[in-house]
Amino acid sequence: MKLTRRQLATALTSAAALAQTPSGPPATPDDELKAARDRLQANGAVLARQEVPMATEPAFQFKA
Amino acid sequence: MADIGNDVFFATIPELNARLKSKEFSAQELTRAFSSRLAQLGGRYNALALPLPQQALRKAREVDQDIKRERLRGPLQGIPYGVKDLLSLAGQPTTWGAKPYAGQVFDYNATVIDKLAGVGAVLAAKLSMVELAGGGGYRYASASLTGPGLNPWDRTRWSGGSSSGPAAAVAAGLVPFAIGSETSGSIVTPASYCGVTALRPTYGLVSRYGAMALSWTLDKLGPFARSAEDCGLILQVIAGGDAKDPGSAGKSFYYTPQYARPLKDLKIGYAPADFAKWAEPAARPAFEAALGVLRQTGVRLVETKLPPFPYGAVLSTILAAEQASIFEPLIASGKVDELADAAQIAGLKASLDVPAKDYLKAMRLRRLIQEALSRLFAEVDVLLAPGRPGPATSIDRPLDRGGPAAGTAPQDPGFRTIVPAGNLAGLPALVLPCGFAENLPLAMQVVGAPFSENLLLAVGKEFQARTDWHKRRPPGV
Repeated sequence: MKLTRRQLATALTSAAALAQTPSGPPATPDDELKAARDRLQANGAVLARQEVPMATEPAFQFKA
Repeated sequence: MADIGNDVFFATIPELNARLKSKEFSAQELTRAFSSRLAQLGGRYNALALPLPQQALRKAREVDQDIKRERLRGPLQGIPYGVKDLLSLAGQPTTWGAKPYAGQVFDYNATVIDKLAGVGAVLAAKLSMVELAGGGGYRYASASLTGPGLNPWDRTRWSGGSSSGPAAAVAAGLVPFAIGSETSGSIVTPASYCGVTALRPTYGLVSRYGAMALSWTLDKLGPFARSAEDCGLILQVIAGGDAKDPGSAGKSFYYTPQYARPLKDLKIGYAPADFAKWAEPAARPAFEAALGVLRQTGVRLVETKLPPFPYGAVLSTILAAEQASIFEPLIASGKVDELADAAQIAGLKASLDVPAKDYLKAMRLRRLIQEALSRLFAEVDVLLAPGRPGPATSIDRPLDRGGPAAGTAPQDPGFRTIVPAGNLAGLPALVLPCGFAENLPLAMQVVGAPFSENLLLAVGKEFQARTDWHKRRPPGV
């Protein structure tokens, strides 16, 4: 798979951002849940920007 | 009773085996010594989940009978060991380190426990862990039913997770070896922080039957021990096909150091930025010295890069989706709120929302990652990176606040994402203690192509023949 420089920069910035979260922990359980959902959505956004050839199957190993 | 000195608690498996066979002490005497030490020191590091002194002594009695009749079953015969408390032991509590499962009892043994029993190893204790192996994403070291894992080198520091107990127990000489697990980092991190040798086997090489599932496509079981050689001897026993594990590769493993390729023929891929820039300043001299030792073995160190993929996002998505399905009953019941860590609770609840399209996209990207890493192993034989960039963190430091200060991150990503990358591709990794910073151990990880454990162990054995970092003992034990 080829990544554009922009895609690579975005992916690396996202990873770095996760490791450098600057603010304190969320104050309430609701804030905590929102933060967790935001992280998953951010991951989804990173994945959405990745180009995958249509023929690429998921990395499952199913044995009949 | 034979006089068993303190040295026995830090002896390797071949050393203990030789002393058992020469009848310097019996398996029962050895088991009593370790059980007593576990009882005395296990709580000091929050490493102990469940002591098993009576059961262990019964097994040791059988072993002594076998040795007396010369029914020899290999180097692990009569050797006490511990398992992370995510492995089922029939009739005994298996808590998964989590309050909602504190009373859980299974009526069957994990396959690895049966395999180790078959060669006469003596299960002495179940060892502590981060609750549910930390899949929800925990913020504090205290995310465990047994409290924060305390590092034997400095009890104000974390022992690492999620295999906290196995790493701390081996480091403190409470057991000669232990079995832990890794989904992403749970062997590499605690082994690095506690300064013990450990092996994350290739996905599918060791049966996970009877182990808590966190992620069906990522979970692996592996040994913590005193040396690369010990890890090879243990892996030879616990590896092998198992129809009860759908992820089993159906392959066996024979530890054959005598057939290892000469190290001068090996190309080791590494990123200088990992050791010179990403590593914490206090750790850099030790890492540089370790690279120097490796060069002296004759290996060729070749500058390499990981293929550019968003490894963290891919792994997090797969883990979240699979754990959501596994722990949906816990979350739906509301008992998830009994967990110790607020971030972990939120992470598990949020994981129910991962869209199927994201999971499938991540699994398709994983296919590309496997292919790209396979091409990388056509250029180099193994990859080398720090186990962690620095020594163990303080037990009260929020774990999601790691990394360098904003604005100081080097441009070169190095192999900083080798842990998610290696786990996504199912690659084996050997953790080798390689020095100290701030009086705390450091380690490097050697990562290989699938089923290249003998090659990794050969590199590790040679490194450990030239260094003694793996033999160092924490102060006061």
